[in-house]
Amino acid sequence: MAAVAMRLPVARKAVAPSGSRGDEKHLVAPGDTITTDTGYMRGHGTYVDEEKLIASVAGAVERVNKLVCVKALKTRYNGEVGDIVVGRITEVQQKRWKVETNSRLDSVLLLSSMNLPGGELRRRSAEDELAMRDYLQEGDLISAEVQSVFSDGAVSLHTRSLKYGKLGQGVLVQVSPSLVKRQKTHFHDLPCGASVILGNNGFIWIYPTTEQKDEEAGGFTTNLEPVPLSDREVISRLRNCIVALATQKLMLFDTSILYCYEASLSHQIKDILKPEVMEEIVLETRQRLLDLEG
Amino acid sequence: MAAVCLSEAEKLYIVHGVQEDLRVDGRGCEDYRCAEVETDVVSNTSGSARVKLGHTDILVGVKAEMGTPKLEKPDEGYLEFFVDCSANATPEFEGRGGEELGTEIANTLYRVFSSEGSVDLKSLCINPREHCWVLYVDVLLLECGGNLFDAISIAVKAALFNTRIPKVRVLEDEEGSKEIELSDDPYDCIRLNVDDVPCIVTLSKIGYRHVVDATLQEEACSLASLLIAVTSKGALTCMKKIGKGSLDPESIFEMMETGKRVGKALHIALQKILDEEESLGTTRQKVGFLG
Amino acid sequence: MAALELLSAEGFRPDGRRPAELRKLRARMGVFAQPDGSAYIEQGNTKALAVVYGPHEMRGPRSKALPDRALVNCQYSMATFSTGERKRRPHGDRKSSEMSLHLKQTFEAAILTELFPRSQIDIYVQILQADGGNYCACVNAATLAVIDAGIPLRDYVCASSAGLVEDAALADLSYLEEAAGGPQAALALLPTSGQMALLQLDSRLHEDRLGAVLEAAGGACRAVHAVLDRVVREHVRELTALLGD
Repeated sequence: MAAVAMRLPVARKAVAPSGSRGDEKHLVAPGDTITTDTGYMRGHGTYVDEEKLIASVAGAVERVNKLVCVKALKTRYNGEVGDIVVGRITEVQQKRWKVETNSRLDSVLLLSSMNLPGGELRRRSAEDELAMRDYLQEGDLISAEVQSVFSDGAVSLHTRSLKYGKLGQGVLVQVSPSLVKRQKTHFHDLPCGASVILGNNGFIWIYPTTEQKDEEAGGFTTNLEPVPLSDREVISRLRNCIVALATQKLMLFDTSILYCYEASLSHQIKDILKPEVMEEIVLETRQRLLDLEG
Repeated sequence: MAAVCLSEAEKLYIVHGVQEDLRVDGRGCEDYRCAEVETDVVSNTSGSARVKLGHTDILVGVKAEMGTPKLEKPDEGYLEFFVDCSANATPEFEGRGGEELGTEIANTLYRVFSSEGSVDLKSLCINPREHCWVLYVDVLLLECGGNLFDAISIAVKAALFNTRIPKVRVLEDEEGSKEIELSDDPYDCIRLNVDDVPCIVTLSKIGYRHVVDATLQEEACSLASLLIAVTSKGALTCMKKIGKGSLDPESIFEMMETGKRVGKALHIALQKILDEEESLGTTRQKVGFLG
Repeated sequence: MAALELLSAEGFRPDGRRPAELRKLRARMGVFAQPDGSAYIEQGNTKALAVVYGPHEMRGPRSKALPDRALVNCQYSMATFSTGERKRRPHGDRKSSEMSLHLKQTFEAAILTELFPRSQIDIYVQILQADGGNYCACVNAATLAVIDAGIPLRDYVCASSAGLVEDAALADLSYLEEAAGGPQAALALLPTSGQMALLQLDSRLHEDRLGAVLEAAGGACRAVHAVLDRVVREHVRELTALLGD
């Protein structure tokens, strides 16, 4: 059965000013003077000219005590220590890997910041250096934590915990980092039957939930058995829901994803990406989230 | 081409999914992504169309210019193709980076659309051996999300459907010198019959099965693809194997069958949308890039 | 053929505008999903697209990386069907190379490049339909795309052209007016500070008249700024309302 759906583009509906909380925020555009008071400290997204604090990006002004920042709506990933990220190996170098994490500069994972297979703790030998490509090669995906941020903004990662490491079978979705809500944990085993890692850098990994965590492997052997169809259906549905949420600009976290998943159940998986269905299920999700807040 | 790099496990996941007829985005093997088609988006061309297929975004402009017929075909006009893989799509195409891919696609388009019976080339002739219309079909690749060939062929067909060529008359005086007179009425124009213009269907072999409308990720898992041009009646007018792998004869025949079936559905959907747009008339609100 | 009257006795231009009036300007941010930033602009019948990739790791030789700031890389190109007579090549000719260089200089002046050492920012602009003021439309589109990408800017960069016809300065020239060959200037302005990021004057112009032309161009730039600012604010307001939290 071949299915081909074509449509005419529809003009975007202007979102009416809803009197929601968006209006209370102090919104600025580049070149706007935020304050002429010299008592403030200059944060991200601002600069000082002639003793005036001026915005350099478009977004909402955030004040923390004396610090004034403007948070842009969409940027590359700005690493912060402790963040959970998902990244892709782009290059194997001496004693380190280069990792693409959607930051301004490639991130690095040092051989010494990584658990050896089996979780063994010892000094890294020359043999380890030679076997680096056996651990991780170009194209491989990893989950990791930000260990430090260099002065130029480049990020250094570590995978020194059993929950981090190489990722096996699953699906990656890339969204803007600003859409990922910061939470206590970014690893979720969702009750619908699959797991997600919500990387702070906007890389989202959806994968089948494993029954028993294979601690001994230390995350270097990947399970190459075919994923059962029932798991695939859940993963594909989750993937499309996350794409729908990101397109409609709703923050991503476990509850919003789960609500959206439930809202989508009346539709076929492939229909979720149709514009009108996306709009419908995200609206339903939004409403449920508002109800939850009360 | 804007290639994506995938890990072995990700590829395996995609291949197994195709095997089970459930692709990563929930589609079956013979499903297209949702496509958006709009014609008449660039007003200083004779015809234009924009097609969005997933993240693939194509703009086609057709310009009719007066030229001289080719020597071997004195009573026919002709089509010229040019494909600009602009840096808009990916930084890799900056400078001359997109030229190779552009030439490859343009050559394929020549083969597919200039073939016998695609466009009535005789209707483009003004007076034999001297004047004819040359249709410059310029393809602009704005975003690249897999399955370029199919999206481009849909856009070309839609743009040809939209093309309006001014009517001209040839005036001959006593001494035999000819003069060409352009019609004063801008609405007095000829339109092309696009009923027999084919569309391209690319079938990517993934594992033991094949899929249509592959995404970039799926293209990365496919070793070889078969590109076939199908008319609305299901006739196959052109075929080409692309990719670095090889295909066995048996699967080629299977893919041809699928291609014909999917191609027919593609033509029906496209024609329906073109007619629907036309029925909205000239007062239609244009969406273009402001949408 | 009688010379086209560029300014009627009643003070109207061929397309019915007043001398200082702009063409209809419409714009949208966030046209594409894959690039970091994108924008589309229409100024009358001139239509341009701009996309921004970056800041990202240097592409190609790392030796080109600047230790203290980001490298701004621009490419100006015109769709082959954009002009009245079909263009043979979309980019790479002398005119587009010059435009690319102008763009680079304009945006190096506006982007806070010192915040992103060793990285690269790509700005690609594409004219889809050309009807005068191509460079200016590109600058305006690129400004929106840079803002969309969340790259810090000192200020907007707004550009407009201006020309002189019989002592009257005309703002935002159309192709018809450009082709008439009178003196014309292109100006890119950082509107808040009034700094000029680019100034280019083609053909001879009496010094006494320069002030009037620049004033017309400057006025047009500020008018463009007002429109762009509205587009940006609407975009920001809409998205913050959607994101909630």
